[in-house]
Amino acid sequence: MVDGHGPNVETLWVIGLFALAYMAGVFRKVSRHRLDLYDFMMLSTVALVPVAFAYFPGLAAWMAKITGVEFPFVVMFGLLFVAVFIFNHNLIGRVHKLERENRTLIQETSLLRMDIDNRRKKNDAGEGE
Amino acid sequence: MKDGPRTLVILPCYNEQHSIGGVLDEVAAAGFECDTLVVDDGSQDKTYEVARAKSFCVRLSSNLGIGGAVQTGFKYGVRRDYNVCIQIDGDGQHPPDQIQILLEKYTATGANIVIGSRYLLNDTFRSTRLRRAGSVVIAAVMKVLFGGLRVTDPTSGMRLMDQKAMRLFALNYPADFPEPISLAWAACRGLRIKEVPVQMRARTHGRSSILGIGSVAYMIRVLGYMILARLTMRPFRQEDSLW
Repeated sequence: MVDGHGPNVETLWVIGLFALAYMAGVFRKVSRHRLDLYDFMMLSTVALVPVAFAYFPGLAAWMAKITGVEFPFVVMFGLLFVAVFIFNHNLIGRVHKLERENRTLIQETSLLRMDIDNRRKKNDAGEGE
Repeated sequence: MKDGPRTLVILPCYNEQHSIGGVLDEVAAAGFECDTLVVDDGSQDKTYEVARAKSFCVRLSSNLGIGGAVQTGFKYGVRRDYNVCIQIDGDGQHPPDQIQILLEKYTATGANIVIGSRYLLNDTFRSTRLRRAGSVVIAAVMKVLFGGLRVTDPTSGMRLMDQKAMRLFALNYPADFPEPISLAWAACRGLRIKEVPVQMRARTHGRSSILGIGSVAYMIRVLGYMILARLTMRPFRQEDSLW
């Protein structure tokens, strides 16, 4: 798995353990319904991409070659950036959608409450008479 | 005004307990037939209690900003089938006796939106120099983008809207800096916009939310939204409305 130019065994252990610990932490949040599976998948790329590059240096070198980049780690950071960007992009869209829905909900419940208050007021006045 | 349009005056408020009562008294004393709706935008003071004693009042459970508050008023107006609504500030900057001028312009021209302008005549409170410069820039860009639309006071919060404009804005209204952006939207959707000179007063309580570096951000966002509107919006059709 590791040729003369790849990372040493200690590095592989550190990266592997980090990936396992990190994904276990994220998965724990998924199991408690604080994140969903999509979040798990996107956040896991932070662990999986370095694992792929460390454990398969041939793949990393090949990707660097076809993209015309001198150092494989630049490709790795590029991939991580794309993953984070896509995740961020989707999150911004989701936040804005929730913001719009929240605004509408606040408006509608407030108008409804006003109607109920006015009817109650009218009924109370009617009973008073 | 008994034969005039059914009119709703919308007063968005945030912590205006000291001024809203007086403004509502002035509306009542102005002598034209209208209903008033105070939209309390999640105030922490006694705005709601003061307003409710004199007017219909809707209390938003959370602060939505001026755009969300005014849009709530449009929704109320559309559902209760008002012919026109007039937006004035709850802080007393817009003297209610000027509403009559907006109504007369609406009756004479049949415009969808009538803006009360501080800048058409030189005899009223005209805000700071920086703000006036900002208004000039926004108005110039509007003129270029929207086929010669002439507006001198695009940031004025004193405006009349007919049913068509109310329906458009009840459906979708800008959350931030709504006055100039909503005008751009209206122009894109083919609504007719007119202006009329009105008197305004300096604010007596509270402070503006657009200050310092915020005014630069304001300009950038407003201009950006106007360009976006020009590029993406199509004329408004009745079936666009939910009501």
